[in-house]
Amino acid sequence: MIQVKDITKSFGSKENSFQVLKGISLDIKDNDYIVLLGASGSGKSTLLNIISGLEKADSGSIMYDGTDIDKLSETELTKFRKDNVGFIFQQYYLLPNLDVEKNVKMGADLAGNKNYCEMIKAVGLGEKLHKYPHELSGGEQQRVSVARALAKKPKILFLDEPTGALDEATGRQVLDYISKLQEQYHFAVVMVTHNNNIAEMAKTVIKMNSGKIVETYTNEAPKTAYEIGW
Amino acid sequence: MIIGIKDGMKLVGISIMACCAVFVCTLFMNYNMDLVSIEEQMTSPQMMIMYDALVSMGKVVSGVSGGCLLITSGIMLVFYIKNYIDTHKKELGILKALGYSNFKIAKNFWVFAISVLIGTGLGFGGAWLIMSKFYEEQNADKMLPEFEAAFHLELVIGLMLIPTIAFGVLAILYACVQLKQPTIDLLKEKRQYGKSRIKGNGKKSQRTKRAVGADREEKDVPFLKEMQKATIRSRKSLLFFVVFGAFCFSSMMQMSAGMNEIASEMMAMMIFIIGAVLACVTLVLAVTTVVKGNTKSVSMMRVFGYTFEDCKKAVLDGYRPWAYLGFVIGSGYQYGLIKMVVEIVFKDIENVPDYEFDVQIFMIVLIVFVILYEAMMFWYSNRMKKISVKEVMME
Ligand SMILES: Nc1ncnc2c1ncn2[C@@H]1O[C@H](COP(=O)(O)OP(=O)(O)OP(=O)(O)O)[C@@H](O)[C@H]1O
Ligand SMILES: [Mg+2]
Repeated sequence: MIQVKDITKSFGSKENSFQVLKGISLDIKDNDYIVLLGASGSGKSTLLNIISGLEKADSGSIMYDGTDIDKLSETELTKFRKDNVGFIFQQYYLLPNLDVEKNVKMGADLAGNKNYCEMIKAVGLGEKLHKYPHELSGGEQQRVSVARALAKKPKILFLDEPTGALDEATGRQVLDYISKLQEQYHFAVVMVTHNNNIAEMAKTVIKMNSGKIVETYTNEAPKTAYEIGW
Repeated sequence: MIIGIKDGMKLVGISIMACCAVFVCTLFMNYNMDLVSIEEQMTSPQMMIMYDALVSMGKVVSGVSGGCLLITSGIMLVFYIKNYIDTHKKELGILKALGYSNFKIAKNFWVFAISVLIGTGLGFGGAWLIMSKFYEEQNADKMLPEFEAAFHLELVIGLMLIPTIAFGVLAILYACVQLKQPTIDLLKEKRQYGKSRIKGNGKKSQRTKRAVGADREEKDVPFLKEMQKATIRSRKSLLFFVVFGAFCFSSMMQMSAGMNEIASEMMAMMIFIIGAVLACVTLVLAVTTVVKGNTKSVSMMRVFGYTFEDCKKAVLDGYRPWAYLGFVIGSGYQYGLIKMVVEIVFKDIENVPDYEFDVQIFMIVLIVFVILYEAMMFWYSNRMKKISVKEVMME
């Protein structure tokens, strides 16, 4: 589905520029479950932002079903995100002035999805439709953001440390919802984490170190969120 | 401390207002004080009439502009502090959590008075720069004896020191009141959503009574519409500022344009320029605050694939009717105010033309307002477009 080729990215001005990504290539297939592992500062988030079209690469290409999204205009890129991509961030980023139902509706409306309440029930928040983000626990907020991302029926879901702010139990719960929903809706998952255990849930594991991919392997039998260690 | 001198200086709007108010008031009050001191030199009845007219005009001008600007800058200060606390809830919450008392934190808000001091200082200095010219102009047809401008310490105290101290105290007191909210609410960056939820809860129980049918109805409202409503509802202070900005623009522009009926040509010109500057400053401030206050929501929506136009519609367009409402209120207000002051001051004097609502000026100011408002919204929202999602998330 996505072919990423020779991505490079530097930050800073000419003299003290710092290369964060040094030629990254990878393949994402339909219904894939990829985990990007690596130490802090190795460039995982930057790579994720580039693949998902939030940030531009310096060089290289990201072919999505035959179109290079790095060459799209801002308007085309917006449409690309609307039609294909879902996001989940470590910090949730719910809209604070809207309740759960309306936060999810924000995703749902983009795909003309009228049954988004199903999605809220699927993440176990059917009882909290009219609560506001500040009235929810961190885990609940992250589940809202899962529902919001999936209500727009993305073909690929990007997650940056989705469990970074959660404890073990809620972390497992959120990951479990994501796997279950993936089985149901068949989107691809690309998740950034520095928790090695979570990698056991993935089909494909990509290890990064200072801007380069150092190892890629596939799990023959991915574990569920409740089988992995923490 | 988290509130630096720099934050205090940022209130350019208040500085400009204070500057204009003090500028006008210094000129007229200084003149009036000097004029009153030579009252016994008024020998002929003509001189007496001239004298009375000048004294009354001084009172009207400094009363209207000084009073109006004082209230305006007071409101602006309160808004600034509220906005400052709203946007710095986390830091303030951390301080409170560490054990700082409300008053200890609020004390630091005195820096907001610096802008008043700067503004009044500039206004006072500026007035003295043109003081002698002003005295000549006031007595252009040489009907009164010549006299020199004298320096009045009372004016320094009354127009510079007292306002500065008063605004400092106001800032501290208001900050104290605002900081009263529980520490946890500050840390969680809870805004007024809690309040709207209580109402929401009430509705919810009704909703369950009305059963599922009503729920389905509600779902058919498009998200962008819901977003528009929620944006307006959740930050009332922003909404207020938009209305207020339009109100100031409308009243100041029309008021200063209408002044040429009661003041001399030079004065009318000066007041008009001041009015126009102030009007634009408040409007710019209102629009920038609105845009800034909503940047985060817009960025998140854009990550999800809403077009920029959609976001703008959902977030910024909701303010438009309110801005126009502010404009209408401002028109009524300025008419009422001038009419009242004119009636009070000139009540014993004949031949003062009745002050009437000027439709022509209203139309012109309205057109200028519409153009300015829309152009500014367009310009600032385009700047917002350039902010990358990452920058917003880094906060
Ligand atoms: N906008 C930016 N300007 C300058 N440097 C940046 C910028 N964004 C990221 N960097 C740098 O790029 C490097 C990689 O950042 P990135 O956020 O991709 O790391 P990461 O692997 O996600 O780390 P973590 O696990 O801590 O989130 C870091 O050294 C960071 O300092
Ligand atoms: Mg990261």
